[in-house]
Amino acid sequence: MSIVTVQLGQCGNQIGFEVFDSLFSDSHCSQGLCSKRENEAYQASCKERFFREEKNGIPIARAVLVDMEPKVINQTLSKAAQASRWKYGQHACFCQKQGSGNNWAYGYSMHGPRHEESIMNLIQKEVEKCDSLSGFFVIMSMAGGTGSGLGAFITQKLQDQYSNSLKMNQIIWPYGTGEVIVQNYNSILTLSHLYRSSDAFLIHENDVVHKICAKRMNIKQISFSNINQVLAHQLGSVFQPTYSSEGSFHYRRNPLGDLMEHLVPHPEFKMLGVRNIPQMSENSLAYSTFTWAGLLKHLRQMLISNAKMEEGINWQVRPPLSGLPPLGKMSVNKELHFNTSIANLVILRGKDVLSADVEAFKDPALYTSWLEPVDAFSVWKTQRAFNKYEKCAALVSNSQFLVKPLDMIVGKAWNMFASKAYIHQYTKFGIEEEDFLDSFTLLEQVVASYCNV
Amino acid sequence: MGRRRCRATGALPQAIATLSRSLPAGPSPEIFRRAKFDRPEAAPVLWQLLFRVLSPPAADSTWFPLAPEAQARVVKSALHSLGYPRPVLAQFPEGSRELLLALSWLLARGPLLEKLLDKTRLQLGDQLPQFEHEALGSLGPPVLHVETEGPMDLRRVQWLMGKLRFRWRHPIFSQQEQCTLLGKIHLYTSGCHSHQNLGHLSVTETEMLRDPESSQQLLQALECENTRLEAALEWRCCELVFWQWMDTVLDACPVEGPSVASQPTVLPMISEHGLGELELIEQELQALQEELQEVAESRRAAWEAQVRGLGRGPEWGTTRKALQESVERELAALQGSWEQSSRSDQLHRPHRLVRSKEGAPGPQGLRAAEVIRMLSAQEACLKRMLHQLQSQCQQELARLSGTLPDLIWILAPRH
Repeated sequence: MSIVTVQLGQCGNQIGFEVFDSLFSDSHCSQGLCSKRENEAYQASCKERFFREEKNGIPIARAVLVDMEPKVINQTLSKAAQASRWKYGQHACFCQKQGSGNNWAYGYSMHGPRHEESIMNLIQKEVEKCDSLSGFFVIMSMAGGTGSGLGAFITQKLQDQYSNSLKMNQIIWPYGTGEVIVQNYNSILTLSHLYRSSDAFLIHENDVVHKICAKRMNIKQISFSNINQVLAHQLGSVFQPTYSSEGSFHYRRNPLGDLMEHLVPHPEFKMLGVRNIPQMSENSLAYSTFTWAGLLKHLRQMLISNAKMEEGINWQVRPPLSGLPPLGKMSVNKELHFNTSIANLVILRGKDVLSADVEAFKDPALYTSWLEPVDAFSVWKTQRAFNKYEKCAALVSNSQFLVKPLDMIVGKAWNMFASKAYIHQYTKFGIEEEDFLDSFTLLEQVVASYCNV
Repeated sequence: MGRRRCRATGALPQAIATLSRSLPAGPSPEIFRRAKFDRPEAAPVLWQLLFRVLSPPAADSTWFPLAPEAQARVVKSALHSLGYPRPVLAQFPEGSRELLLALSWLLARGPLLEKLLDKTRLQLGDQLPQFEHEALGSLGPPVLHVETEGPMDLRRVQWLMGKLRFRWRHPIFSQQEQCTLLGKIHLYTSGCHSHQNLGHLSVTETEMLRDPESSQQLLQALECENTRLEAALEWRCCELVFWQWMDTVLDACPVEGPSVASQPTVLPMISEHGLGELELIEQELQALQEELQEVAESRRAAWEAQVRGLGRGPEWGTTRKALQESVERELAALQGSWEQSSRSDQLHRPHRLVRSKEGAPGPQGLRAAEVIRMLSAQEACLKRMLHQLQSQCQQELARLSGTLPDLIWILAPRH
């Protein structure tokens, strides 16, 4: 089943390109550590999900590109055309001449309704070219104007028009010290609107990915391109084909549905974080070997201590012992707090993957009291290696990972709102104070739900 | 094929043999004989046969083996819901005579053989998926089930509901995909079929062309079906002997009490006793109508007496008008749903999917647009029912929460 990707705004389009590129190069990589037939099945599955074929053979990405300025879209299209291994559809993009000025209200109330028909038509055309639609993958940032405002609008329209299809939003969490003054306003408005119309959010924080580039990849001058490539690697390790069940030899057909079924069935808990190890530069790859035991031990500790990468993990954090009274409400300020999970999905790829032992993840102490580990934890194992990593472990987690960042953003936005700073820019385009208050209420509720887990 | 005259001697074994040939996995005549004498070894076979006959159509095709106790439970509950008059079957696993009586009751009351043959019919074409739904009439009060082992966290229930919603989509997705692929096959094979009206091949026919092995298997399956059909036709001629024998089986049962003795003998279909029965029914209906009229009159008089006391001011005019309108709406809805259920019977017959050019004069059969219209009407009706049930549940919850003084009831936003 196929996934239609909607790339929104500067951020969305740049990341989208890297994601497709990473998926394509991995599926055509010869170092898959598996038989030729297996490799072909992998390729075919990846192709079914993300690409379609035309008569003369170059695969076309199942994507719609949307931006209010032409610059980034043109760059993206030309990059794809240059590499000439895959390309975007000829009529798959929509752009205008003027931007959104980082104004969420402008993106949501002006650009949205004005261009709704054209954009939805493009999406419809892409959907018709799928034999069967698994769902939509919308890549956007939270802080800008186009990605965030227009993204929220488009997701709502997707919910209206394709209510039976699944929607996952890939959201880029801005730098804490970002350049856009009103990024906190944009963020809370985006999140609250998406919470009503999307099924799941995969969240990546710019700060975190930046650190990974600096510490793990040893890149001196970190550009957005580097960040996007790390991001694409993480997403690829989640979305590339996996076997449908233990011991099966068929790749699963409905990646979005299976992921969501395991992780986000509850309407209040939709925020997912991704952790991926090992992460290193390509040069170091050839000289490193890992064991599954080591990788999984690190991954588990990263989950428990809310570490963002495999360096600097706090090994002091331990799960609460059973028999002791529950830890009670989480204080957002406590550093040593244990990260409680609601549900986890571990995806393992590579050599000897069947021998990997994930029992440590089934410890009930890791999870909330109202879900058994058998419901809360799933593991997908695939022999075929990903992106030349001999072993690769990814964790998609619905846990308290994002409570602190969310709380921080809500706090900052509230402080600005209390002094009515910059509100007129939003009320000018139809976003009233009521809408702000609704957003605050919803997000406070989300924070409270996650804290009380 | 000439009519076979069943002679007195040797006719019974032949009749029973014909019956067992026409049943799916029919038991041997020896089993029937043993069952008359209530021998225990006949019981398991008869339980299995009854299970096969009574289990819902979906289970039949997958045919996963249930434990014998579970099979017995299914059979008993199915017989009970069909109104089987004899007291509940004896304890498992004895009672093969009772099982035989149950089987013959099923045979007598309705077109059992025809239904079974229909269920297992071989289809060469691509079929319209069968639409099964409950009768749209029943709208009783919502049943509140409160049975759990202990207090369950509401979040867990929400989690499980969400999972169910996601899993729901799987069959929808696979059916969509199947439709797209069927469409492609029909498109690519257009012009290949010898039959003028069909024009293109179905999946089974395409498989036969690609793989000659499968055509052999298909042939064998068709021959099996033919044998059963022939047996069913023969049975129609011989069945009288069987029923006479069944009377003796009934007589062989120990007398159990006045309730059993007063049971009327099980009769075959009503057409054999024709007009006499019809007159009886007419009389009964007449009596019923008179009774209803009486009751309605008395209730109307009582209501009028009650209402006469109440005011007749202008506000009553509007209230009355509103009431009239809502009653008319409900009546229209009820009529609509009744019409739907009568028209939608067409959908329950098997139909072969045929793709034809637009505007071409279509042969007999339903058009896709018509089917879509019927289904949309059904969908709207079911949605209305769902809405009604949901608001009933909400009202009930509001009432319950009103009884708790310290509870504030806030409705969750609609999804």
